[in-house]
Amino acid sequence: MKTRYYIFSLFIMLFISSCDPLVTTFDDIEDAVLYQSNLLKEYPAKKTISVMTWNIRFGVARLDFALDACGDRVIISKGEVITGLDGIAKKINDSNVDIVLMQEVDVQSKRSSYIDQVQWLLDNTGMNYGVYASKWKSQIILADGIGRVDAGNLILSKWKLEDAKRHQLPLRGDQDGLTQLFYLRRNVITAKVDMPGTPFFAVNAHLTAFATDDTKQKHISGFKTILDDIVASGFNFVAGGDLNAIPPNATKTNYCFDDQCNPGDYNPDDKKGGCDFTQEISWLNDLYGKYEPAITLEEYGMKESKHYTHSPGDKLLLDRKLDYLWTNTSWTNAATHQDATTLSDHIPVTASWSVE
Amino acid sequence: MKIAHLLFIFSFISAQWSSESAHLLEKNRKEVGLFTPFKMGMNNGSELSINKFLMMPSVSLKQEMIMYNSWKMARIFRIEYPTPGLKWLQSPLGLEMGAPNKFSLISTQFSIPQMLSFYTEIIGTKGSVKSGQLSLNAGIGVALNGKELSDDATIDLPIIYPRLSVYYNDFIIKSGGGYYRQLTDKLYYLIDYDMYLMPGGRGRYAFEQQGLAAWQNSNKFRLSFGYKLIAGEYPFGAQAHLFPTINIQFGW
Repeated sequence: MKTRYYIFSLFIMLFISSCDPLVTTFDDIEDAVLYQSNLLKEYPAKKTISVMTWNIRFGVARLDFALDACGDRVIISKGEVITGLDGIAKKINDSNVDIVLMQEVDVQSKRSSYIDQVQWLLDNTGMNYGVYASKWKSQIILADGIGRVDAGNLILSKWKLEDAKRHQLPLRGDQDGLTQLFYLRRNVITAKVDMPGTPFFAVNAHLTAFATDDTKQKHISGFKTILDDIVASGFNFVAGGDLNAIPPNATKTNYCFDDQCNPGDYNPDDKKGGCDFTQEISWLNDLYGKYEPAITLEEYGMKESKHYTHSPGDKLLLDRKLDYLWTNTSWTNAATHQDATTLSDHIPVTASWSVE
Repeated sequence: MKIAHLLFIFSFISAQWSSESAHLLEKNRKEVGLFTPFKMGMNNGSELSINKFLMMPSVSLKQEMIMYNSWKMARIFRIEYPTPGLKWLQSPLGLEMGAPNKFSLISTQFSIPQMLSFYTEIIGTKGSVKSGQLSLNAGIGVALNGKELSDDATIDLPIIYPRLSVYYNDFIIKSGGGYYRQLTDKLYYLIDYDMYLMPGGRGRYAFEQQGLAAWQNSNKFRLSFGYKLIAGEYPFGAQAHLFPTINIQFGW
């Protein structure tokens, strides 16, 4: 069976060798892709900046997608994706945020009908500039009819973004070589926000969800190292993302039973990534220890369920916090927007950042 | 079984619209290639061609026509039944390897209807292989029941996309040409192109240019290798591909 698997893969790779690589791989650090809105707006410098982090699930809202939920749909129609993006754009515009850190944004994926969501969001929100870094880019994904995919992280800003870099995080260590080749290449994206008078850095991360080894720990450490380097270079930062990790004082650490699609699917003897955080519970301690979270551990401990940011698939009842905002200075007015639970399987977190 | 998978895809790729001349196989001669269909010269001045792999069955008939000036002319009719092949591509290994559905090229969320396509083509050839043989062809294809197939169920890959587009667009126009010449006793070369026009489709054209060298030991064995350059439009936009080609053919 293995031989058959490899021969079939070899054939497909030979068949599709082309002017562009079948699967795009990345250097440790390389330039991110720059975008701008088709209509640039003027924004003056501000003393307080509103920042949002949001995993938008490539605009498919709570639809029954096969790969992260329990459904059997892989290709979502253009109309459905536009409807999803409309909801996201409305939320961004209503929140009047200045910087948005987005995860799971598609720019050329069959699953989301090839809509360039970065350009679409720039053209349908008050944002002027975007920088994008792929985490999954392949001419074809050889599973489930997924087809072509280009999905990744995005920073949107009202002010110009400069020195945008894509920082590669370690690949999952618990996969065979072939699976790893076609799998996600998680990254952190950084950009200098050229706000007049006070440039600062915006940092966006989407860390591994399903690794069963120490890959997530390496990702958290890599993310923190990038933040440390920015501070060492004399700049302040606003950072955030979907860290796929729960706070160290979370009262529940295992969601595997809740996440099973059918009763009996979950076998407690199987090691399953993405739902059991028990062994990982301390992995965010260094971040909490060194930097300022938008939602403090004290606040989270007092109103835990009010700060949940995720529930899988079409389950609207949020049940865990995976999404965070960080800075090396301080936040005010932090909010977890649980009213947006129909717009994605994650909800946005916002906070105001005082420029120093 | 693994070889069958490989041959299957190349087979249905090669079974359609392969560049050729207006010359027919002589009566009772048979040819088959690793990646090309089985062909047989018939008694009645025609040539029958059958796709070897029954999941994508197709049959074509080439018939002589009267000469047009110095051009030897022929017409080709072909019928293809893609439904079993497309269903197979939804889950080529089955689910025996477990989730995800490995190597699936079409999501199982789509149902594949019963479909048929019909093609007709005219081909003209001038000159001889020794001094250089030029062939030009043009044709159209139509599909039945393609409207039942979702427009999102395409396989957005070179070679495959234009050849299956008739089932999404109901209609395709194809033209092409080739220059075939003998270099030495055993060595030949071919330069050809094919142009697919898919009006109304999400990808509207594909241009394929091929160059290959063929070594022919006798009229029983032929080995060819070369390249294929493809520039086409797909539902995501335009892209170019270049990849090697190889074929082994036997005749008797």
